[in-house]
Amino acid sequence: MSGLSVGMLLFLVSVGMSLIFGVTRIVNLAHGAFYMVGAYLMVTLVELLPDRPWAFWLALLLAPVGVAVLGGVIEVGLLRLIYRRDPLMQLILTFGLILVIGTLVLLVWGPDNKSVPRPEALAGSVKIFGQPFPSYYLLVLVLAPLVAVALWLLFYRTRWGMLVRAATVDREMLGALGVNVAALYTQVFVFGSWLAGFGGALAAPTVAVALGMDGDVLTTAFVVVVIGGLGSFAGSFIGALLVGLLQSFGILIFPAVSIVLLFALMAVVLIVRPWGLLGRPEA
Amino acid sequence: MRRRLRYSSQGLAILTILLVVLWSAGPAAAQGKPIRIGEINSYSGLATVYTFPYKEGLLMAAKEINDAGGVLGRPIEFIFRDDKLKPDEAVKAARELVGQEKVDFLAGCISSGVGLAISAYAKEAKTLYFATHCQTSRLTWDDGHKYVAHTTNNVNQYIRALAKKAATLPYKKWAHISPDYEYGHNVWDEFIAYLKQLKPDVQVMQENWPKLGETDHSSYITALLQSNADAFISAVWGAQEIAFVKQARPFGLFDKVKYVSASVGNPDELDPLGKEAPVGALTPGFAWYDEGMQKRHPKLAEWVKKYEARAKKDPTLGASWGYASAYIIVEAIKRAKSAETDKVIAALGEGYEMEFPWGKVIMRGCDMQAIPPQWVGTVKMNAQGKPVLSDIEETHGKDVIKSCDEVAKIRAVAAEKKK
Repeated sequence: MSGLSVGMLLFLVSVGMSLIFGVTRIVNLAHGAFYMVGAYLMVTLVELLPDRPWAFWLALLLAPVGVAVLGGVIEVGLLRLIYRRDPLMQLILTFGLILVIGTLVLLVWGPDNKSVPRPEALAGSVKIFGQPFPSYYLLVLVLAPLVAVALWLLFYRTRWGMLVRAATVDREMLGALGVNVAALYTQVFVFGSWLAGFGGALAAPTVAVALGMDGDVLTTAFVVVVIGGLGSFAGSFIGALLVGLLQSFGILIFPAVSIVLLFALMAVVLIVRPWGLLGRPEA
Repeated sequence: MRRRLRYSSQGLAILTILLVVLWSAGPAAAQGKPIRIGEINSYSGLATVYTFPYKEGLLMAAKEINDAGGVLGRPIEFIFRDDKLKPDEAVKAARELVGQEKVDFLAGCISSGVGLAISAYAKEAKTLYFATHCQTSRLTWDDGHKYVAHTTNNVNQYIRALAKKAATLPYKKWAHISPDYEYGHNVWDEFIAYLKQLKPDVQVMQENWPKLGETDHSSYITALLQSNADAFISAVWGAQEIAFVKQARPFGLFDKVKYVSASVGNPDELDPLGKEAPVGALTPGFAWYDEGMQKRHPKLAEWVKKYEARAKKDPTLGASWGYASAYIIVEAIKRAKSAETDKVIAALGEGYEMEFPWGKVIMRGCDMQAIPPQWVGTVKMNAQGKPVLSDIEETHGKDVIKSCDEVAKIRAVAAEKKK
């Protein structure tokens, strides 16, 4: 059960990463850093807002917006300049962003570990099949699938979603048809950043908010995206669930090799379907 | 012509400023050629939560020492380098400090891996290295040599102090959760070995080895709940332990199984946990705010005030270690009446004792290992609803640490293995 909620948090982060890659073809290594900033903003907002039950929810709403703004600034100010460059340059830039954001976080928030208290109502646990289950995880289990459904509606039922899907297939054609691709890139990048920020804000009460929390998420999200298929929305969902469950059950069944299991799964997927479970082979 | 004139007037101005600075430093301040110590530590990334207060303590002591005339009439100077928590970066920095900066000594480390790497380099470069912040016992024991001194606690002492206290409690069935690397294994091995020595009927029910930096502990929590243990010790630390505590609380783990932790009593974990702190947990810690502590050590309150005025923050155990390390290094130089490596090593080899605001620290000669006082307490909420360590019991490290004979045996075994 807790594996499910871990998987759900992972889904939020990796779907944003996958989305950004699908449209802009940029492997955003700084995606984990966005997640970290989301969690840190959550800490600050919860501290700043009055100590009322609604403060937590307002913070949960605002923190991802802050990350989205940061994503927008980075896209317009930096990434836009290098879309046409060598993919290696893009990797170096986003890798540089990890270091820059990491240092800025140290300067702004200081070296101390932080933590976000869970809202009073969700601090305890509920019994499910006779086993205690933390009620905060229930919130994650409700919110993340809601986001997934909203995403699906957005991509398959709106014009914007159609454009985004079209961009993942053929960007040049889309541009030739008169769509403002540059604006679409910015929108997608902002939206992807929002998803990372939301993942970070939602995860904050279950972990310590500390420097270095970005690295771990980045690697796992990477595995999820590779397993599910780069650019595939449903792939991220299935990949995240697989990884979340594998991490929880793997520990119980093969404690000694649980870390290897994750990468073994990725290797198997890469051998059998190099483009991921639900990805499309490159033309 | 004009140009040159302007330059020289600029030079004159700089000279004047320099002279003013020199004079204003006063007659008491040290004036000789500085004794330079290359200090390598993690000054970026996730370990800064420990290294920033440590550096503050170190610099506070250095300032006091220099204001009082330095050592042998020479000021001490620390040259800082960031090891990025990586042994190879640390060795690179050490080479540069010894080769180009021509430092007299090396110091530093927060990560045990980094400490061992610098120590290996120091042996090869014949430069004395003071390990100041990392805690693995291997530094001065298994991998000990004459070019490494350890100015702070090692795992053996504080884990034995913790096990000694745990042995007085009525728990026989034990489990543990420790990160799967050098330090985690070190803590669990020392703890269970000493506990069994003091209380032979202790049983190990179950073991948990999450990876270092694991963020989801739910399956370990379930395993601990089902282990039938009366108590468990955690060697998980820092951000990872905060996550562990937050995840374990809703399961009621701490109400069902007694929680003993190697580090949850430190403010870097207690403060962020706030009202979610594990009340009742048994843990070591530097509770400078505790009334009993301040009564036992009358000079502590004044030191804390001085530190706070400087750092604008409450002190931590690491801050006290930084402070003590600078004084321990300087004392060795003072006793050697020289900053020459061999003479300082000889002075360390004779051993000495020093009084600090928190009690006596022994520098033991046989292994050049510092032996400070140890404190174990219980996590409680204070009147303001803030988690603190209380009911502090003090044991001196000398009453629990492995003896010089035991250390000689450990070294012999380690030397045998290397062959």
